[in-house]
Amino acid sequence: MLHLLGVNLPDQKIVSVALTYFYGIGPLTSRKVCSRLSIHQQCKLGELTEAQLNQLSGVLSEMTIENDLKRQIAANVQHLRQIGTYVGKRHAMGLPVHGQRTRNNCKTAKKLNGRWLRQYSTGPAFGVFNAPVSKRL
Amino acid sequence: MLGAARIGRSAASKAAKNLAGPSFVRSLSTTQLVAQKHSGVDRTQSTAFIRKEGAAEKKLRSGTSTSVSLDNANPEYYSEAPDISAKPLNAHSAKENAINHFVQFSKGFMESIGQNHYPGYLGSDFRLFGKPALLYRKITQTLVDRLAGYTEEGPKQASVIDGRAGAGKSAELMKLAAVAAASGHIVIYAHSTIPWVDSSQPYAPVLNSNMFSQHELTTQLLHSVLAMCEDALTQVPLGKDIVLGKKQLNATKSLADLVEFGLQTPSLSQDALDFLLDIASTQTKVPVLVAVDDVNTLWCNTAYRDQEDLVLPANRLRLLCSFLPFFDSKKTLTKGWVIGATSYLRSQFMSKDLRSKLHPKAQVPIANRELAKDPNIIKPQTRLPFEVIKLDRMSTNETWALMNFYREANVVTCPITDAFVAKKWIAANGNPREMFKSVTSYF
Repeated sequence: MLHLLGVNLPDQKIVSVALTYFYGIGPLTSRKVCSRLSIHQQCKLGELTEAQLNQLSGVLSEMTIENDLKRQIAANVQHLRQIGTYVGKRHAMGLPVHGQRTRNNCKTAKKLNGRWLRQYSTGPAFGVFNAPVSKRL
Repeated sequence: MLGAARIGRSAASKAAKNLAGPSFVRSLSTTQLVAQKHSGVDRTQSTAFIRKEGAAEKKLRSGTSTSVSLDNANPEYYSEAPDISAKPLNAHSAKENAINHFVQFSKGFMESIGQNHYPGYLGSDFRLFGKPALLYRKITQTLVDRLAGYTEEGPKQASVIDGRAGAGKSAELMKLAAVAAASGHIVIYAHSTIPWVDSSQPYAPVLNSNMFSQHELTTQLLHSVLAMCEDALTQVPLGKDIVLGKKQLNATKSLADLVEFGLQTPSLSQDALDFLLDIASTQTKVPVLVAVDDVNTLWCNTAYRDQEDLVLPANRLRLLCSFLPFFDSKKTLTKGWVIGATSYLRSQFMSKDLRSKLHPKAQVPIANRELAKDPNIIKPQTRLPFEVIKLDRMSTNETWALMNFYREANVVTCPITDAFVAKKWIAANGNPREMFKSVTSYF
């Protein structure tokens, strides 16, 4: 098991698949990282040398992933809320943001959309009530 | 739980920050930092990652790990592999009287290729028959005769065996390589070049160049060359001083020494291979056979990518570039033959351009005779830089021999008759692979 930048990666996984375990890295970014370091597609994590692992760690450190990325997203959403935009209000209410219908079928939005404001709010961002409007209805 | 573990780590990293100060490396864990604080920084170990040892390794499920005791097995269904007689394939047995008989490869030849590296489906066939044996066909004799003819002077063009999937191209190339090795040729036999392009082996960029090298594959090839024809290699001196890295090889050293040096120093194996091909192609002492299976990979887009994430064409891989000039008519052998075989197993490595040239569409003749004679008319390019040897269907005699062999090997249990052979030939259209599938399938 390899512990890299706060994430446990299984040794027997292919490198391009293992890198997707990081928050903020998907298949395309993972492939680009492997190409940059000349790691072949079928390479497993256990086959990497120390030098390659150091290079990999260096490249990942330059990217915004994991907690840094979460903080950035939360800050963006908070900014939208603070300046009073429509998108910010929808995040605060825990409702769909991109114009979807709310008459029915917005279950995912109601479940997930308020999380950036709930997790990182230091004070009552919406006044007295902390929970999104949709939860109180 | 994972979330909790991650929160725990970030809290630990905050604590570590306080311990180490502003120069904290994000990837260090608390345990490492505390250990460093007490025992001094260990500069022999990397701190960018931690390998966790001692954790129970997950056992992968495998269907082949179950062992079955055959003590009480039904003898009708479970029988030992029969001992099939097959002549050994060498320079003496490769004659016209061996046509339509099965011949067996020598142990040394099989070991030089490597057990799990047989081309195409041949590995599974050999396991089924219990021995590495193939049918000696008329086309095999034609190729052997041509090889004998090129021992004095090589042809001006390389040759490529082409045919439908399962026609026996890889098998013919393998037999030719075996005969050449037994005859004392220098044999450079690349039995499968698909692993060279499918991104399954390591690769590395070459400094100050846009090329990439594959040291492991090159070392494997050199190992195979040395194992197959070490005696022939020792007969050819280098002829000039060669500098490889920091070492110099004298002109009196042989090609075998050059190959051994390449094996000992993987980073210089590509240079050693280039020198080997250079010297072998110009010397006149020992005839050479360069045989490349899956030759279509020399012109394909590989599965590798460069540092900008762009697809690498084959001509940017040094290993493939070593053989490309022979098939592009830019390099020839003074004494010997360059031959390849196409493969349709992985269609992604067969370029459309090459496929259209190998199998050109029927062209409608121009009705106007004067227009047809006009040299400025643009016609589809079908000219190839190499000669194409078409591998056609099996003949009925060859099919008979094949079916008799399958009967001896217990692959076919019914008696072999004219009707049976004709039925199999018609159903498979003379294709050996289709015939094998038809006798081994249940329905």
